[in-house]
Amino acid sequence: MTTVRENLKVTPKYREISHLLRRAGFGATPGEMDRYIEMDYSEVVDELLNAPGTSTMPDDVIFRMFPEYHASLGVDACANWAYRMVSTDSPLEEKITLFWHGIFATGNDKLNNPLVLLNQIDTFRRNGMGRFDDILLDLSRDPAMLIWLDNQTNHKDSINENYGREILELFSMGVGNYTEDDIKECARAFTGWSVKNAEYMALMGQKDSIWPYSRISWHYEYRQNDHDDTEKTFLGEKGKFDGEDIIEIICRQESTARFISRHLYNFFVEDEVQVPSWQDVPPKNPKAIGILTDAYFEHGHDLKKVLKELFESDFFKESEYIKVKGPAEMVINVLRLSGGFEEPTLSMIQAVEEAGYMGQLLFYPPSVEGWHTGQEWITSGSVLDRVNFSSARLTDLSSPGIRDILNRIGNRCGTNAKPEYVIQNFLELMGIIEISDATFDLLMEVCDAKDSTVDTTAVSFDVTASNILRVIGASKEFHLV
Amino acid sequence: MKTKYLKTIGIKTNQPVGRGFLFPYDVTFDSSGMIYALNRGRISQGLGTRIQIFDYDEEWYGEFGEGRVTGPLNFLIPVATAFNSKDELFVTDEGSGEVKVFNQKGLPLYQVGGGSGPWSCDLKGPSGIAFDSNDNLYITERSASRLTKIDGDGNVIFRVGEPGDGELQFNMPWGVVTDGKGYVYVADWRNDRIQKLDPDGNFVTSFGQSGNSEGQFNRPSSVAVDSQGNMYVTDWGNERVQVLNSEGRFLHVVEGQATLSKWAEQWLEVNQDEYSARRSSNLSILDLPAHLQTPYQVGSQTEHLFWGPVSAKIDAFDRLFITEHSRARIQVFDISGNSD
Repeated sequence: MTTVRENLKVTPKYREISHLLRRAGFGATPGEMDRYIEMDYSEVVDELLNAPGTSTMPDDVIFRMFPEYHASLGVDACANWAYRMVSTDSPLEEKITLFWHGIFATGNDKLNNPLVLLNQIDTFRRNGMGRFDDILLDLSRDPAMLIWLDNQTNHKDSINENYGREILELFSMGVGNYTEDDIKECARAFTGWSVKNAEYMALMGQKDSIWPYSRISWHYEYRQNDHDDTEKTFLGEKGKFDGEDIIEIICRQESTARFISRHLYNFFVEDEVQVPSWQDVPPKNPKAIGILTDAYFEHGHDLKKVLKELFESDFFKESEYIKVKGPAEMVINVLRLSGGFEEPTLSMIQAVEEAGYMGQLLFYPPSVEGWHTGQEWITSGSVLDRVNFSSARLTDLSSPGIRDILNRIGNRCGTNAKPEYVIQNFLELMGIIEISDATFDLLMEVCDAKDSTVDTTAVSFDVTASNILRVIGASKEFHLV
Repeated sequence: MKTKYLKTIGIKTNQPVGRGFLFPYDVTFDSSGMIYALNRGRISQGLGTRIQIFDYDEEWYGEFGEGRVTGPLNFLIPVATAFNSKDELFVTDEGSGEVKVFNQKGLPLYQVGGGSGPWSCDLKGPSGIAFDSNDNLYITERSASRLTKIDGDGNVIFRVGEPGDGELQFNMPWGVVTDGKGYVYVADWRNDRIQKLDPDGNFVTSFGQSGNSEGQFNRPSSVAVDSQGNMYVTDWGNERVQVLNSEGRFLHVVEGQATLSKWAEQWLEVNQDEYSARRSSNLSILDLPAHLQTPYQVGSQTEHLFWGPVSAKIDAFDRLFITEHSRARIQVFDISGNSD
């Protein structure tokens, strides 16, 4: 590997903060790095964990331009969220929302009601770093999830096990840590947890009905007369449990702490095998999972504190460039770098669709299991889509973000710069600290320094810059995080 | 004083042709009382963008125009409509920067903005549009935060406004209307107020401030003025219509009370499974969880209330038409009681 040289400002601190912002956010723009580098690493962690999210793209401006976002049609609703991810100054808030969307995967292909999915996303945004008990309780009352897993048909005299099974298998404990009887008892406890007008709403969803006056959003309704309040035996405990009791029991299980810790590790630190294999394949870093599990109990299931320990751990800091960027992560990274979203534009929907072509259309997970991640993001087809998308966006030199990068290159490198120095600056500003020799050699080639130096302030440099950016966007390193 | 509900017109559609609405943004009336509804459509796909023609009894007569591409019959981001005294229909288009002009049958006549000669003035995001009794044309320009007045021959009379929140400053202005005396009312959208100007473009006064209390606004998108000078403001972000008297004093709120339109009834009659489930449901929801008690969420869950009230227009019969883009319908009210 060729490492960016120390004559640039890539200090160990710079590397750590840059890494943190790639993982806890969507990568930092040069302007953001200017601000963050003035802070201590732990201050950056604290800000990411605690800063309330604000966005330069308010909903009213989006809705005025796109009423379809207001009433939320399919992919338009994803674009609404994408604006948040692109324009937020609290990127971890959106990143944790993306994390939960991948785990509590809920699909519009069944619901046909993006409004309720946007509300679910908002719940993750609001409470995604809270106590896991509260997150599970919110999820269990989330109308999108209730209809997604058919809990409106989970009656006290005729249970539907769907939600009871998935909350244990996919949302908290993982296969192998409970019995089939536990599933049934769990389902009984969640009888009566439904949605207002559930029968009509489910029918409209099933028929994808927009009539007569557009979709109607949903909210949680507890149906006391449909709740089984008799005694249950769950994970060895007996009582007249309802859903809240069940969640309380789930959240104090060792298996739950390990399961959530492994999810956090998989998303923020290192790609693990796919979730269905977790019962057979041990974690890549059992020590790290142990640290996170301990933190879960030590901090009363408070995920914000678990995340703080994660981001400040050595295993996190030493995990640069070993994860594959997910499609949504990649698209948002590129859009934040290129900028140009001061006003709503049609291109946001196209960008969301591009992430879909790369394998991750938000709001449309392939199943309740969510997306398979890591190296499974990479296929011969998705690589082409990734390269085409990033090249197109990064070589649009009229984009304000790209223009800013070029201006910085001009200021740093001037009229008589060695090509190696120019390339190193590009890499640093794009958030890439290490690249392979092969990529570096190719960049030297496209740098086209006939006279051994480059005038980065010349108008003609735009062509060279465009070629450099195209190669960076296509490089393996750009698609790792 | 009262604003009395009369009926609801419309139904949602996802079809590119035929009756029904997809994000309707405005209505206007020709001299015979025929209603012209502007369907913004789904502009990201150019789906459903068109003008539809029908009457008060919901008899549907036809449509013209389409979205996305450019051409004399095409719109990119259409916003508002108005007829002049010659029954020429003017349609603003924020996307193309033009105002296209049609006859009553939808044949393109000419356009405002671009080119040279009369009607060629440069427009930056034309949004709201209105005529005064002398056929002078007022256009709000969203991207320039200004108001332009053009005479009946296409010559610019004046342009006022700049970005800001002071007098004669605007922040993304939207709807505009004139009253019987020639005063001009601009929905100063992102300043949460209505500015009143005289016919020469001088500031007279402004009404409202940010908020959700009486007389306060959250992104007012349009205003209509009746013969008594009462104002009907679509308080878009608060999902309501506020009625103010001519001095700007708050009179009352209209929240919407939609019923099934003729088109909706006809659709449900042939979809009895949904009609049956609907009858056994309660769509008048007033007990939402705390985190959903915002105007937007209430509108999205309570079907009879306004959701996306974007345009207020008054016809020749003292009827107020409130267009709701997100419910794809028009609620009509009798305001003759407000003129007593």
